[in-house]
Amino acid sequence: MVGRVIGIEDATPLEFWVAVDPEQTLQLDDVVALDRILPDGQLVRIFGLVTQVRARHEGARFQSDVFLISDGILPAEVSEAALVQPTRFEPEILLPPLPGAAVRRATDNERDIALSFDDVDRRLPAGLSRSDEPIFLDLDFVDGTKGAHINISGISGVATKTSYATFLLYSMFNSGVLGAEAANTKALIFNVKGEDLLFLDHHNSSMNPEQVARYRALGLEPAPFRDVGILAPPRKGDPNATPATGSRTLGVSPFFWTIAQFCQQGLLPFLFADSEDERQQYTIVVQSVTAQLTKLPEGGDGTVRFDGRTIRTFSELVDAIETKLIPDDPDDMVDQRWTGRAVGAGTINAFIRRLASSRRHLEQLIRADIGNAERYALDLDAHQVTVIDIHSLHDRAKRFVVGVVLRQAFDAKEASGVAKPYQFVVLDELNKYAPRDSSSPIKEILLDVAERGRSLGIILIGAQQTASEVERRIVSNCAIRVVGRLDAAEAKRDEYGFLPTVQRQRATILKPGSMYLSQPRLPVPLLVEFPFPAWATRSAEAGLSPGGASQSGDPDDPFAGLV
Amino acid sequence: MSFAVESWDPSYGVSADETAMGEASNPVDLGVEVRSDDWAPIQPGDDVEPPTSLLFVDGVRRIDARVWITGADGRAHPGVCATVAAGAVRCRSDSARVAVARVERALYTAAPEAGPIVARIGEGSSTYELRPVVVTPDTDINQAMNLAVHSHMTAIETSLDVPAEPGEMIVFDGPLRGREAAAAVGYVKTQHVQYLPDEQQLIVNQLGPGQRTPIFLIGGQFTRWSWYLRLPGPISHPLSGVVRVELAGLGQAEDAAGRADEISAALPRYASTPHKDTRAPQNLHPIAGLERELRRRLGDPHLMERALRVAAAR
Repeated sequence: MVGRVIGIEDATPLEFWVAVDPEQTLQLDDVVALDRILPDGQLVRIFGLVTQVRARHEGARFQSDVFLISDGILPAEVSEAALVQPTRFEPEILLPPLPGAAVRRATDNERDIALSFDDVDRRLPAGLSRSDEPIFLDLDFVDGTKGAHINISGISGVATKTSYATFLLYSMFNSGVLGAEAANTKALIFNVKGEDLLFLDHHNSSMNPEQVARYRALGLEPAPFRDVGILAPPRKGDPNATPATGSRTLGVSPFFWTIAQFCQQGLLPFLFADSEDERQQYTIVVQSVTAQLTKLPEGGDGTVRFDGRTIRTFSELVDAIETKLIPDDPDDMVDQRWTGRAVGAGTINAFIRRLASSRRHLEQLIRADIGNAERYALDLDAHQVTVIDIHSLHDRAKRFVVGVVLRQAFDAKEASGVAKPYQFVVLDELNKYAPRDSSSPIKEILLDVAERGRSLGIILIGAQQTASEVERRIVSNCAIRVVGRLDAAEAKRDEYGFLPTVQRQRATILKPGSMYLSQPRLPVPLLVEFPFPAWATRSAEAGLSPGGASQSGDPDDPFAGLV
Repeated sequence: MSFAVESWDPSYGVSADETAMGEASNPVDLGVEVRSDDWAPIQPGDDVEPPTSLLFVDGVRRIDARVWITGADGRAHPGVCATVAAGAVRCRSDSARVAVARVERALYTAAPEAGPIVARIGEGSSTYELRPVVVTPDTDINQAMNLAVHSHMTAIETSLDVPAEPGEMIVFDGPLRGREAAAAVGYVKTQHVQYLPDEQQLIVNQLGPGQRTPIFLIGGQFTRWSWYLRLPGPISHPLSGVVRVELAGLGQAEDAAGRADEISAALPRYASTPHKDTRAPQNLHPIAGLERELRRRLGDPHLMERALRVAAAR
């Protein structure tokens, strides 16, 4: 017994206080259990999680009494109490525990029941509790069976959002939870910041035996990802289209779209972040031009024929469109098939202005000046994990790449018509791609993924600093919510309503490597600590080659310096 | 006109009533430590070692209900249902703990046909054991019952089973009343009797904080060594903060004087302050804390009263 239910504060089926036995302690996140016998003799077991603990002097009336008590002048008792939030009633009879009821620590089987792990068939290891016991997710709520998608919030600089997303992927592929499906399951990861995700297939030289043990406690063997393809945009101005990555040069392929693909697949709208916004007049021009571009005949090697000329570069395409929309002679009539009906010169100019400004940022991504362009066609099925590096791109180019790739993935899944094998998509900075207050083709694709991806087998692991800035429908469609350290003002927002007050406060001081995990099965979010990545997250950590041995000393705290 | 406001809460009366102080009826020997002519305040020296552990014993009482017991002859006899408790708190240099506490409930009455009363509360019950009050035709029945409650409390205080540790002193709230243990100390907060002649009483007025008078021997039914001590605190009138301390009248005067020094050195540390206690400084912190704890253990008064009414109706 660790304590008894207090009788001077209301005990309810939603929360109750437990006075802690002076010989025992209860700390935050401890799992407890107690019994209640009903008048008809039936046993109800109540399980819960400690979410707050407090200690106080009983018998003291003034603040300064503490000195008298410590000096042995005034008699008083130290009393400790713990606030418990029930996680489960077995059977589910929602009654308050009775004051005086003995409370015990839930261990082994009882802990599994308390955290609802006992009736989960497919357990996805999601991290360790603070007492180093495994915590699981129900895969049914990840893969679309009962729910799908994972959303991760947390301030940047703590480097935990993408680390946790990749850890979950690793767990998914290697824990055996997917069964035979694991081999065919694919993941698409956008590397939006730094070069964190470019070394997924390298051993992490900072791994130490303690971290290895943490992986094993979860039933995982620490190793880098096995089958990783790294794609990076071509270097600007490089006619050979060598990939523009900084520290990694080996095993990186470039990616780009040919002019023909750009025209035929109607990718033009992805250049305009706000082109679906009805308030913007020029969207009608975008639609008309997109429609006209699809009609252009191919010129071979990824080029198109435009008014008798062969278009090889994005610049040429932009110029050609410009010429179409603004005739050299002001007296000439503009072709209304290209502009749309009754569109004023100002609107056309707005379109031209936006199109021209994209030229500089996108010319290396949309081109037909490379031979054998088919070789570079995006193939998301070539590797188990495909990392698309967009961190060096301008925001407009990032949106274009994310939008187009997602659409390609989505269209492919839609065409196949079956959910399996699953396609996971990891995207950080959701607030940039699906902002709450505007509309864009990229946001529409993400909404499609969030709302229909569950049945199509395309599963979004999205992350952002602030969930309050992301489209509500995307976040609300995520069955699993994860919260890392939050800014104090952000933590007060309604988007984190699933976090009880104490957890919200704690979320502002979470240390790197710790997350709150909210899953539909449990009414209380759990604190999880996930092991340090077994794959390199920067070049300094990367072992000499994939499969190479660890080469540096073992730091005591692998997360040190990340704050 | 100069006047001082009594530091005690008015509802407690006054800590010392000089004008109304009764003359001591027991013989008092002033010359046991120093000659009565040489009386002067004594400051316990720095070499005096106060006891490392003190046990404070006190009791509380509460009248839960007044009852009427009707006999076979149709006459109604008054009675009192009360809860009394006594306990001890052990104070060391780093901790103060309630070492023992006992609660008893009783029915005090002179009714010849009275018996115990069982009061049920929820699934449990409390029994008010019968404690007959003996009255003679010329005693006031109410006074007799109140006295019975008080002596019941004193009886529990005396019979508390606290094993005293070596070198420990046991401080009883109030006069010793016949307790003869060498470690027992009587602590008298209110001065109703003037034991000293006026000349020596002036010495009491001159005591500084922490100073004591020479000891004197009080004769009579119980022989006691006694002295006055002034506790630290604001001095608003000549007797503010003055208490009288007693030891059983055993052994030699020198030994008693030595122990008087030790006790006088120990007690000021426990003196209370006016904003925390309405009877400061005489009502010592450990005793106030013990009383609060004991009152808590008496149980809820409304619950007890209701349980008694229910028991009466059955």
